[in-house]
Amino acid sequence: MTHAIALNEITKTYDGFKAVDRFSLKVARGTVFGLLGPNGAGKTTLIKILTTLMRPTLGDAFVEGFSILTAGKEVRRVIGVVPQENNLDRYLTARENLILHGRLHGMRASAYNPRIDELLEMTGLASRQHDFPDTFSGGMQRRLVVARALVHEPRVLFLDEPTTGLDPQSRRALWEHIRGLRHSMTVFLTTHYMDEADALCDRIMIMDHGESLADGTATELKDAFSRAHVLQVEFRDDGAGYAEKLAGLPFVRSVERNGATFHITLTGEEAIKPLMDSLAGADIRKICLKEPTLEDVFISLTGAKVRE
Amino acid sequence: MFRGALSIWGRDMLVLRRSIFSELIAVVAYPLTLYLAFGFGLKGYISEVNGVPYPLFIAPGLISMTAVNAAFDESSWSMWFHRKVQRTIEEYRVTPVTVYDIVIGKIFSGFSQGAIKGAVVFLVILFLTPFRIDYGHLPAYVLCLAISSMTFSCLGTICGTVIDKPENIGRVQSVVIVPLIFMAGIFFPLSSYPASILPLIRLLPTTAVFEGARDALLSGSIPPQYFINLVVTAALCFALAVYTFNRKMAE
Repeated sequence: MTHAIALNEITKTYDGFKAVDRFSLKVARGTVFGLLGPNGAGKTTLIKILTTLMRPTLGDAFVEGFSILTAGKEVRRVIGVVPQENNLDRYLTARENLILHGRLHGMRASAYNPRIDELLEMTGLASRQHDFPDTFSGGMQRRLVVARALVHEPRVLFLDEPTTGLDPQSRRALWEHIRGLRHSMTVFLTTHYMDEADALCDRIMIMDHGESLADGTATELKDAFSRAHVLQVEFRDDGAGYAEKLAGLPFVRSVERNGATFHITLTGEEAIKPLMDSLAGADIRKICLKEPTLEDVFISLTGAKVRE
Repeated sequence: MFRGALSIWGRDMLVLRRSIFSELIAVVAYPLTLYLAFGFGLKGYISEVNGVPYPLFIAPGLISMTAVNAAFDESSWSMWFHRKVQRTIEEYRVTPVTVYDIVIGKIFSGFSQGAIKGAVVFLVILFLTPFRIDYGHLPAYVLCLAISSMTFSCLGTICGTVIDKPENIGRVQSVVIVPLIFMAGIFFPLSSYPASILPLIRLLPTTAVFEGARDALLSGSIPPQYFINLVVTAALCFALAVYTFNRKMAE
């Protein structure tokens, strides 16, 4: 078996609404897999199904070969979970939170104590281990939740929007911890942040309305969408005279103007030469092909409208 | 087996140990005030009930009331808090423990709190007042207290599982728990009820809790009809608590 996670035609319906629709996926062991999607896309539902918190309406899923339907306890033995919200026990100290987790996994003190020491060092919380989580910053609480999920050395780690609400420094620090886990376990993360997916994931899937829309490495996804042919042209003067002219060209799909800079979307690759001919003699400061970002890919697949 | 339940119970006892003094002061104050107000305030008007001095008549009920209230409070609020506020129930559920471990751990925490707080009120009443008992009767009384605390702990677990708004837990206490406790003859003999409703009152689980406790402490044995009522109610409440929690978690 080479797959850490396998979903077979998973469907989840709530009161007639399909949150996930016949979703299938296989994630290879040792990879960092990122699931991207707007709010309500079905990401958290999938994580809840994979972590046995929720049963699918149809289909089955396997984590390290164990069925979520028939071997839930075995699944929970091999997974670590970092939920969207910090669900730390505020009446226990940081260390006691980790100890309780170890005990719930049936670990003995001789096994969990050295592991907890190691994790507290790794997350930079060793000096605060006897403090209560309420006295921690958001970033420290998040690191403690990650440390807790790792106490029992899981084979698959689920991270549900792990850096939401963190400041840039805390995000970067958490990224470093996640990078450090690469290859030692399979990481399945959901996020809204494209830079996060770009920086961390070996493989990315974009989903919406409970279905997969695109799947590949960040580079593959960007390459696939670079056919959009967006050119950025900056004129020396304000370029006002060119706005109408460019919009009227038959091979130009759209023109966005920001001062003297124009973003021109062409109908296809073959339109580059006629565009250059049309701009011959123009007083141009800069002209370049705009590489799509992962965010461009995401928006083009899921739409630009704000979701409720 | 039940290692998870033991871990959850251990967590709750650790938290209780940290705040034991403030908890006990709050817990002791209420029944002690009732004991002093009713036991001594009314002593001049009610000297004996069925041949038992009035302060001695109400003491077993007050101790039991402390225990069952503590069991209900701990189970209901703890379950609600862990489920809705801290969301630690979700953390427990992604570990290899079962929902049975969680619900049994929480029921035992409620039971333990009830037993500890009841015992402390008992000691305080013993220390501060002329209330005396035959210590040979204690095993029967403790058994009655244990089964009662278990029942109320299960009821608290059910409330903490199904009720989402905290004010509704308070309402259940005011509208269901407190009337059931006060109707069960803590402060007055059941013979005060009209004969027509007395059989119904005798069937109440709380009557078995408080009358059973009084008989156990004063005579050393729990009347069979109360003992059966206590055991059957505890078993039903336990089964209902496990079923309710299991269903809620499956939603």
